[in-house]
Amino acid sequence: MNLSILARASSLSTAFASRTLHRSIACSSVSYAPNSINPKTPLFLRPPIFTATLSDLQKWQNWAKTLASSVGSSFTESDNGPDSEILHRELNWLIEDALENPKSLRTRSEFESESTLQLRADLGDLYTLWKQRIEMRRPFQYIVGCEHWRDLVLSVEEGVLIPRPETELMVDLVCDVIKENGDLKGGLWVDLGTGSGALAIGIGRILGDAGRVIAIDVSPIAVQVALFNVKRYNLQDKISVKQGSWFDPLTEFKGRVAGLVSNPPYIPSGHINGLQAEVGRHEPILALDGGKDGMSDLLHLCNGAAFMLKPGGFFAFETNGEDQCRFLVDHMESVHKNSFYDLKIIPDFAGIQRFVTGIRL
Amino acid sequence: MESVVHGFVAGRSPYLRTKPISPLPISYKTLTCPTASYPYSQSLISLSQCKVGTSSVLFATPDAGVTSETNVWAMQDFYSLRKEVEATSRRVEEIRASAGLDQLGEEVAKLEEATASDSFWDDRSSAQQTLMALTDVKDKINLLNEFQTQVDDAETVVYLTEEMESTDTALLEEAATIVKELNKALDKFELSQLLSGPYDKEGAVINITAGAGGTDAQDWADMLLRMYVRWAERQRYKTRVVEKSMGEEAGIKSATVEVEGRYAFGYLCGEKGTHRIVRQSPFNAKGLRQTSFCGVEVMPLLPEDSLNVEIPEEDLQIGFSRAGGSGGQNVNKVETAVRITHIPTGVTVRCTEERSQLANKIKALSRLKAKLMVIAVEQRASEIKQIRGDAVKADWGQQIRNYVFHPYKLVKDVRTGYETTDIVSVMDGELDPFIKAYLRFKYTQSI
Repeated sequence: MNLSILARASSLSTAFASRTLHRSIACSSVSYAPNSINPKTPLFLRPPIFTATLSDLQKWQNWAKTLASSVGSSFTESDNGPDSEILHRELNWLIEDALENPKSLRTRSEFESESTLQLRADLGDLYTLWKQRIEMRRPFQYIVGCEHWRDLVLSVEEGVLIPRPETELMVDLVCDVIKENGDLKGGLWVDLGTGSGALAIGIGRILGDAGRVIAIDVSPIAVQVALFNVKRYNLQDKISVKQGSWFDPLTEFKGRVAGLVSNPPYIPSGHINGLQAEVGRHEPILALDGGKDGMSDLLHLCNGAAFMLKPGGFFAFETNGEDQCRFLVDHMESVHKNSFYDLKIIPDFAGIQRFVTGIRL
Repeated sequence: MESVVHGFVAGRSPYLRTKPISPLPISYKTLTCPTASYPYSQSLISLSQCKVGTSSVLFATPDAGVTSETNVWAMQDFYSLRKEVEATSRRVEEIRASAGLDQLGEEVAKLEEATASDSFWDDRSSAQQTLMALTDVKDKINLLNEFQTQVDDAETVVYLTEEMESTDTALLEEAATIVKELNKALDKFELSQLLSGPYDKEGAVINITAGAGGTDAQDWADMLLRMYVRWAERQRYKTRVVEKSMGEEAGIKSATVEVEGRYAFGYLCGEKGTHRIVRQSPFNAKGLRQTSFCGVEVMPLLPEDSLNVEIPEEDLQIGFSRAGGSGGQNVNKVETAVRITHIPTGVTVRCTEERSQLANKIKALSRLKAKLMVIAVEQRASEIKQIRGDAVKADWGQQIRNYVFHPYKLVKDVRTGYETTDIVSVMDGELDPFIKAYLRFKYTQSI
């Protein structure tokens, strides 16, 4: 818990720094980012050193089910949060992650109620965790410490944005581009505001042997978590994680970047208070708040793309929806006339205009 | 030495002493001696040690009592055996006819002619295939003839017994054993004929969706889910409820079950369609009679590498259900359901059980492929492009079975006409008679 308060404090201050001036915040970040930050191990990777009898576990499971059922659709009605059905599904996944051998739960009969199961968390902690899930609306992904994203399982914790399923599509967009352009496949890619490292790892796995990724985040926790995930997928030779604000750590690569991707904060400040509790109360505001109209960081990225990308270089940004997409395309066509071509707005699976892509002239 | 024991009881047939009989007589009751306190299974196991001496201990009762008792039982047994033999004989006849014995003979002749040709070995691989086909057909003919021989043997015993006007228990036992084994072999043969579809030996994915009608239909969906899981347990199949969406008050909106085991798809494929229930609604204060519907879909559970069909991207409509709102960073829900529609046929699948959107998409796509492949086989289309979408809709939504709980109890299959009043057993997974009736029905339709 201490860690998350620290993260919040650092998020707020760095958010301020990155929003006002896009200058290096290296000095300020040092005081908030002691090197001792260690990312938490996701539940499913922890050693199964705890035990519980089948009947005790079932008791917990029934309690948790009842608690989830009591929610009904009240969260959905109040802030578009999860309903009981989704919570039941989460509960099953929590069991999946917490048990050493989740299959054993299905195969054992009621006659074996005193048989013991190996757990990755103390049963008492499981009570606490599920209480946090329902009563505090702590996101499920922070409870289990991971998020399944594409074919990856990424470690996440408080202070790091939980990667969203919409963002999965950006890897497909990059995949399409490098299929046609071998030069990009072996080039230098940059993920700005990498968070858990999702995009960087997703892209790192589809690039060619010569391809490299630099993942940048201003949050020290995000940097540590991204590093953890990069190492878990054994991509440390391909992906380097750097701490800093947007383009600051990239001065030496000006005009040499083959690809630029980012899922920057894009929610208008005024909307933050009305967000789903899991998001608004628990996820780092630094990764969500995009300023008054939500465009501050996106515009900064567009401007940066113009001087960072090499000719033929590709960019893809995630946005809050159609208005932001259109605004960005207009901006690029007017302010950065003759800098980009093939500007496209691409919808996500839900049909919302979500991504802007283009190529540097 | 078995003959010693049996001979003691029945003790007349010279046949017995020359030919050993099966160590497992079917009808113990024929032999049951009222005063023998040892269970027969035990005495049979210890036969090798017990010989005459022991058996005289076992049957240390006045002879007269035993024999008259035995004769009564044996006569009753004889009648039931005769009936059984007659039924089996008819069955063999039917099977030999439906297997097309004459055609098989012609086929052998044709294949043998081919092997005799001078150019036969010019193409080695086709020659091999021809030889294998020949062996297959010959094996089948042999098997069908073997059925005939066996049933002839059993008939001879019945005939002999009638002629001799006396009962030879051991002989009857042998006939009973023959009939029992023969029926097992016939079952197996029939099933191998009935379950010869390309995906029949695969596992299955059952998808249950509650029809319109709110809680009643959702409760009905839950009952069907239980029924199929119980059925699968009886077959010793492994089941996994991979997705279950709960109803608001009771029951389920939908569920997906994976059934792992050989021939699961073959057995279950006939379950697809609409299942209708008629009962007094437990959710209605007045307890009015209520009719509800549920849709059941069955697809084979195919290994990833066997799904070697390519579906053009433009034929797919991929929908991603996220509950409203602006999505993206604004929302954090683990709901990553993917729904894929194959536009030319309108065939739709949904996958919600995986934890990432990509994983759901991959799984949904393989389910879609499996479904399309099955439909292609059903429509005898050589490829997915030839599937007629209108026929799919009509076929997969067809009402197949009625379950009436009130005002009387009856489960009736609309297609086969098979029915039973034991609705409790059916709901408890006793589906085999329905499944077999459908498989036979499908088989006769196909000839």
